Amino acid sequence: MEKEQETKKKIPDVKISDISFKTELDGDKLYFIRLNRSERVQHLIFVICFIILVITGFMTKISKDMLGWLGTAGNIVFYYRSLLHRTAGVIMILTSLYHIYYLAFKPAGRRLLFDMLPRIKDITDMISNIRYYLGLEDNPPEFDRFSYKHKLEYGALFAGTTLMSVTGVLMWTEQDWSKFLIDISTLVHGMEAILACLAIMVWHLYEVHLRPHKFPIDHMWLTGVIDEEEMKAEYPIHYKKIMNDPELQKIYTEVRILTDQGLKKIGFIK
Amino acid sequence: MTHYRRKSAKTKMLSSVFIHSVIYAVLCFFFFVGIGFAQSAAAPDEENCLFCHRYPQMGRYDETGKKRVLYINEKMFANSVHGNLRCKSCHVGLDTIPHTNIEKVDCSTKCHIAEPSTNKEFSHINMIEKFEASVHGQIINGKAKPYPEDLPTCKYCHTNHMYNPFRSNWGKSEALSKETLARCVGCHTREQWAKRFYSHFTHRMRRRRSQAEIITLCTSCHENREKMARHGLETIETYKDTFHFTQVKYGVENAPDCIDCHVPINYSTHYIRPKTDPTSPVYITNRVMTCSNQGGLKTCHPGAHAEFARGRVHAYGFKAKIAAYNEKLKIPSQTKNLVAERAQAEIEHKEIFHYNVLKIIRLFYKILIAVVIGSMVIHQMLDYIRTKKRHH
Repeated sequence: MEKEQETKKKIPDVKISDISFKTELDGDKLYFIRLNRSERVQHLIFVICFIILVITGFMTKISKDMLGWLGTAGNIVFYYRSLLHRTAGVIMILTSLYHIYYLAFKPAGRRLLFDMLPRIKDITDMISNIRYYLGLEDNPPEFDRFSYKHKLEYGALFAGTTLMSVTGVLMWTEQDWSKFLIDISTLVHGMEAILACLAIMVWHLYEVHLRPHKFPIDHMWLTGVIDEEEMKAEYPIHYKKIMNDPELQKIYTEVRILTDQGLKKIGFIK
Repeated sequence: MTHYRRKSAKTKMLSSVFIHSVIYAVLCFFFFVGIGFAQSAAAPDEENCLFCHRYPQMGRYDETGKKRVLYINEKMFANSVHGNLRCKSCHVGLDTIPHTNIEKVDCSTKCHIAEPSTNKEFSHINMIEKFEASVHGQIINGKAKPYPEDLPTCKYCHTNHMYNPFRSNWGKSEALSKETLARCVGCHTREQWAKRFYSHFTHRMRRRRSQAEIITLCTSCHENREKMARHGLETIETYKDTFHFTQVKYGVENAPDCIDCHVPINYSTHYIRPKTDPTSPVYITNRVMTCSNQGGLKTCHPGAHAEFARGRVHAYGFKAKIAAYNEKLKIPSQTKNLVAERAQAEIEHKEIFHYNVLKIIRLFYKILIAVVIGSMVIHQMLDYIRTKKRHH
């Protein structure tokens, strides 16, 4: 009888959710670095510039009937629109130039460039991944550090930023060029903007916000790390590589204590 | 505008006999009754037209069903640009009652006012002559233009909303202070005259219409496809594709409207010429000046050089489309259409190339966007469905 009472007493204390929550907070945990500090800062600057550029850029395409409410304030609004667009554009170009420098001269950048290079495996990965989506295969293909999705997106971003920067600067210095070149620039700048904007919305925002296990947001863009489970599931080849190579472990792994103190350390909470 | 706010009756055709008898009846009535209510006039009505025309109910529907308001608001008229004129200065004739000898008002009529710089009788004939010689005039190369009813007349742009808004604001701002007026009436003792003179020239110190209003005015004709096609012109949707119009949309100060590029520098709007005329600011050799500094009035593209200035400002419209199409078929235009004819003459070979390049780029991007975004949407939807399935 005594024993039974003891177990009865203990049951309400032990909730499964409590345990998992506690262990997650208490234990040291192995984390894998996806973005280092420099990359996170580059991304953050890019995000802010991109949003400003999209808003101030598409402001020129609003129809006249929708601007009536601005009245005489329109003059000031347009002045700051132009100023913001150019400022954000310049910052974005500078960030991109730094990124190229980063790719060429920093060890981390070189590794990123090397891992980002397209390979034949990407094509086979894409085919088998789509086969997996369609239910023709039971498991998704095993990805290395960057999957074909990342590579396509990075390539599109690289090409898009180059085009937008060049055409933007051409339009900024319009009186030094032939009008035909400016016409082409205007057209390309506008069309590329639509393409980039839609691509970001459909491809990138889905990846980091709407995927079922990421919703509402993937915190990796701020913390820079993912846990071991996710690493195993999403990037198994890279995981194996890291676990077999102590050199890579130094670079890509980090033991973080996810207590309040730990969360503070990685900038997750204040 | 109070005189337009009458009760709108259903359009009704009245026979002229009936109208005349009504007018007689009204006249008799006012002759005996109305005299007692007559108020002192702000400006002397020497011809006594207001004896009848001051009654707000005065008006009729004419034979075409159009509402004619014959009421004159004395105060408003006195404040209008023509407030110092007699009725008969413009409305020539009208000697009998009812008025059977009505003539249409001709703005070139000499109106018995001495023009101060020459002391000759004043009329608007100078402006009308310039206007007739302009691109909007009735005559081109010595021949009358087809469809004269499409062409603008004085009143098309000079809608008589020309009551100077400052007139009633005397004493309310620094520029219209009593002190300003005092500086005038010290010598020019008639206050009414001083106010009118002040308004006369302050009216001309700025444009009456904002850029957006100019665009609205010009597009009221130039956006009508049928009307423009009759004269071999494109509609100016091509302007609305430019960054110039983007600025106008937001009401940017000094944003370039139609006048800025099409009216010769140092001339009034009445002088607009076709782009083939060497005096036109869009004539090929005048372009650098027009884009760069407008004779010192504005500096839009200060460093503009010939290669930039000679390019096309408006977007390519259907003239370029026709020309490009004809060139592709390698045949001269077969249609009798005036637009097609002029497209053949106006669009240069180089421009057709430019048009084609832009067209190909646009098409390329349309396909690219459709394919890329389409496949992205499908890919991500598949991902979503599969991931959900796997989790459940």
